[in-house]
Amino acid sequence: MARDKTYTEEEFPSPLVQLWHNFKQSPAVMIGFGCFIFLVLLAIFSPLISPYSPIENNLDAILLPPAWHNDGDVSYLLGTDNLGRDMLSRLMHGASLTFGLSFIVVILSMFVGVIIGSISALTKGVKSSFLNHFLDVILSIPSLLLAIIIVAILGPGLSNTLWAIVIILIPQFIHITRNAVVQEFKKDYVLASKLDGASNIRILYYSIYPNIIEKMISQATLAQSAAILDIATLGFLGLGAPIPMPEWGAMLANGIDLFYIAPWTVYLPGLAILFAVVATNLVGEGMRHALKVRKEH
Amino acid sequence: MLVLTLLTFSLSFFFPGEQIINVTGQIDATPEQIALIALDYNKHESLIMQYWSYLVHLFNGDLGVSMASRIPIMDEMMSHLPATIELTTVALIIAMVVGIPIGFIAAIRHRKKTDDIILAVSMIGYSIPIFWLALLAILIFSIQLAWLPSAGQISLVYEIEQVTGILFFDILFSDNPYKWQAFQNASVHILLPACVVALAPATVFVRLARTSMLTVLDSHYIKAAMAKGLTFQQLIFRHAIKNAMVNVIRDVGLQFANLVTLAMVTEVIFNWPGIGNWLIQSIYQRDYTAIQGGLLALSSFIFIVHIFTDFIYASLNPLARGIKYGS
Amino acid sequence: MTVTSASQYFRILVTLSAMFLWGCDSYKADSLSERSLIYCSEGSPEILNPQLVTSGVTVDATSKQLYNQLIAFDVATNEVTPSIAKSWHVTQDNKKITFYLRRNVAFHHTQYFMPTRHLNADDVLFSFNRILDPSQVFHDVSGGKYPFFDSVGFADVIESLEKINEYTIRFNLKRADSSFLANLATDFSVILSREYAELLIRSNRLEDIDTLPIGTGPYKFKEYRTGSYIRYEPHTEYWEGQPKLQQLIFDITPSNTGRLTKLLAGECDVIGYPIAHKKINNNPLLTLEDVTAFNIGYLGFNTAKPPFNNKLIRRAVAHAINKQAILDTVYFGDAKAESANSILPPSSWAYAEDTHDIEYSVEQAELLLTQAGITDGLTIDLWAMPVQRAYNPDAVTMAKLIQADLQKIGITVNIISYNWQEFLRRLALGEHQSVLLGWSADHPDPDNFFTPLLSCGSAETGNNRTFWCNQQFEKLLQGALKITDVEQRKALYREAQKIAAEELPLFPIAHSKRFQARKISVKGDILHPFGGISFGGVEKQ
Repeated sequence: MARDKTYTEEEFPSPLVQLWHNFKQSPAVMIGFGCFIFLVLLAIFSPLISPYSPIENNLDAILLPPAWHNDGDVSYLLGTDNLGRDMLSRLMHGASLTFGLSFIVVILSMFVGVIIGSISALTKGVKSSFLNHFLDVILSIPSLLLAIIIVAILGPGLSNTLWAIVIILIPQFIHITRNAVVQEFKKDYVLASKLDGASNIRILYYSIYPNIIEKMISQATLAQSAAILDIATLGFLGLGAPIPMPEWGAMLANGIDLFYIAPWTVYLPGLAILFAVVATNLVGEGMRHALKVRKEH
Repeated sequence: MLVLTLLTFSLSFFFPGEQIINVTGQIDATPEQIALIALDYNKHESLIMQYWSYLVHLFNGDLGVSMASRIPIMDEMMSHLPATIELTTVALIIAMVVGIPIGFIAAIRHRKKTDDIILAVSMIGYSIPIFWLALLAILIFSIQLAWLPSAGQISLVYEIEQVTGILFFDILFSDNPYKWQAFQNASVHILLPACVVALAPATVFVRLARTSMLTVLDSHYIKAAMAKGLTFQQLIFRHAIKNAMVNVIRDVGLQFANLVTLAMVTEVIFNWPGIGNWLIQSIYQRDYTAIQGGLLALSSFIFIVHIFTDFIYASLNPLARGIKYGS
Repeated sequence: MTVTSASQYFRILVTLSAMFLWGCDSYKADSLSERSLIYCSEGSPEILNPQLVTSGVTVDATSKQLYNQLIAFDVATNEVTPSIAKSWHVTQDNKKITFYLRRNVAFHHTQYFMPTRHLNADDVLFSFNRILDPSQVFHDVSGGKYPFFDSVGFADVIESLEKINEYTIRFNLKRADSSFLANLATDFSVILSREYAELLIRSNRLEDIDTLPIGTGPYKFKEYRTGSYIRYEPHTEYWEGQPKLQQLIFDITPSNTGRLTKLLAGECDVIGYPIAHKKINNNPLLTLEDVTAFNIGYLGFNTAKPPFNNKLIRRAVAHAINKQAILDTVYFGDAKAESANSILPPSSWAYAEDTHDIEYSVEQAELLLTQAGITDGLTIDLWAMPVQRAYNPDAVTMAKLIQADLQKIGITVNIISYNWQEFLRRLALGEHQSVLLGWSADHPDPDNFFTPLLSCGSAETGNNRTFWCNQQFEKLLQGALKITDVEQRKALYREAQKIAAEELPLFPIAHSKRFQARKISVKGDILHPFGGISFGGVEKQ
């Protein structure tokens, strides 16, 4: 039998739930969020729903324009490229490469960054200050340049690109975790649990992480939009995904040679990148706005 | 800076192949020559000594020779860096001249339609992939409208001797009979790439300027001035802009790193003879000596601009100075 | 109120940009650019002396611009015509050839060299001795390799070179060589200045002979920046008359789209190897021209190392490639290229009509692979050349098609490409397993296909990228050179083609035309059926 509540308890929603409440206020942000979810789903299910293979050549249908064009073919909705590959299928697969991988990259580097950042927040002295200066140097080098250098060491290729981007994103997360943790540690509730005899790790896990997670997510959206652009740029420069892969940046680079014959091979991947980055940025923007609103109350 | 040299030094170990060859770029050297070079770089002693001799070479301006072209890296850089400086400077100016006023307008019209539109446009500007933008810009302005040229720094018709490296100065100092034609030609050439590079930073400036202006407008002294009966226009032009600007300047240095990255990609597309283009070509050719040199040059360049903007900020803002020197 | 100030601000901006645009208008009416011609070329020459290379980029930039040959090919008839030599005489036994030189041929007068005399027999002697005489000071300068001359066995043919008088020179041959005159008329057999060479010896700058060139051609060298441009000035004392341009510039633009963009935006007057032919034909200010070139685009196998030292695997790969698809996709499918089944184009008189094409058959390919003992797949490197040539306008796309084709028979292909200079250097070292490359003939003689591409001699110099050396084949080639009777030679070449088709050191893909696009304001012949382009007679209106 269910027990009646003795006291009328006031529900305190967790920080994340509060964030969500503020987050869903703005319609623009919700559209962005919808697009973001759409991309995530597309990234996961693209192999199942795309109509054609993204890498196999189909020489009967070379350079078909999109369907709305006079010469277009409805079965190739967005046209085909110079090897007769369906643009729509390639773009869908590209979603899992460019967008999906950037998502994974960000989660990986966030994971590593948060761990190192927390450790460095708890240590003091020479080690910590060396780390700080080292980070300053790394952060002052443009991220793309650094990624390019790392790719130069590892050699071109998609997986090397991803590692490079993971590495360059880590310092940002270390930096922000460190600052956030140090800030939280000064607060009274941490002192309270310290007095309760909680170990540092316990405090981190139970008290601090729940309170800084939204900051992390907001940083993650920033990192993700940077990651998408970086993956695409490296692909475009021919340092990232190898030739047949439908990565958006590499697709665009491939399209350049066809720019004057088949302009859609350049327009479409560019639009796809723009779409993904705008969606990510909208989500991030909404997140930061919601955070601000919550802080003000 | 020192950490940076440490980084490039360690890079020579990470790159495939012999470390000593990676540092010097002597790929065709005979074993005897290699031995000689190794001696020169203290190869047989501890890592610290090796690093030290690397630094000594560095300060003497010796970065080795390019593996691909066999030209000393220092010379290569001296001929490419100025073009990048030129492009980024013009782009920075365009970004500031366009971005900051728009940001101010957005702040003044806070929570009105203008503000929303400006924010939306700046969001798209910030998200657009630079290489795509560059291609579209070429298609529209060079091909369709035929207003602006699509590649290079100046039409090759003009022969300008490289003295300072900054093309505009070189043209003005040269005794070429077609000086003014060349000058115009160079101006037209820089316009398109500079605008492309400027777009994303401009949108950042819009945001910075907007936030900064909002803070200023919210401050007590502005409210006091308003209470004194100053008109809104007087208020903005005499007081608010100046104070808001100071805050924006502080972030120029940070934006610069971003700008350089964008310039690298833009240089490739516009065939601009800058250091970004050169660096990316070096990567294609696996010219490790050049990659190390290029990294060092670009990062130092960004560093210097950082320090420079810090100084400007300090000289503009007495508050910051006070904190820095602890007076 | 703020709105007015803002609009004022924008007015200033608009005015400023309007000033820029106005500036742009005035530069179009500019006189200097009207008298200069910009040619957008596809790559950087590795050196400025065609004796040392076979690459088309170098030939285009140097042979007919900076230099002259003793004799040349007529544009219309393909016959040998006078150039620096105003006439020549061949003895009955074809073993002695005497050239009579013009007396008014001036060398370039530049900042780094001031000639005191006109061209004479000493210069011709010097130019050929550089190639022939290993003891000559300049023989080993800039690598000391003369790939074209090595491949045609130049040193084996020439007994001696004789100076009869100041303006007469004689070649004494060891044996009759039916392609000898044609070889002298190619873009590689250029004449250098002996006086300049002596100056360089005195100042100990031997390398400069190939980087600061002095020749007798219509243009003289001014400046070269690798990867960006080459600048030429007109040679005012040129023996055929001063060129009409005030300046000639090669704007090095490796990207296909980049070149077309520059042409459309008016930054180039002429571009080599254009893409999007329709776009050019639709533009009333531009014109597209083509010339039937003697060439072959092929897939070469490095027979010196596994896996392609095995004939079965070579044949398997050839069976697996859908050649028609390549022709449709890479060669624009507009019948401008014909499928190749022999190294020789069908228009050559020595072409063997009975050569069978290797049919496209996946089953056949799989069968051959099994015979070769390959059951669990194979990974190969395929090198795709980074520049566009008539015989292969887009090697990377071709490589992608082949990659997809070979995937079907379980062969994984890695596509590899470097910049052009690096590519050639590594190719010559034999670092590749297979390569997409081609050859443009330098003269109409069929020997110019076989000897440079497949002979043992050129396998040694690395010019034979397949490193294939077949004694029987070699004997046929040598035999065909010794005789002049066309029917007899034809029989030998037929036999040679049969061996090549059976052994398949290279898989012929296509013969195609060479294209070029220019503004209609540019007048004069630029394209030639053999060898490089020539700007000597070009003017702008």
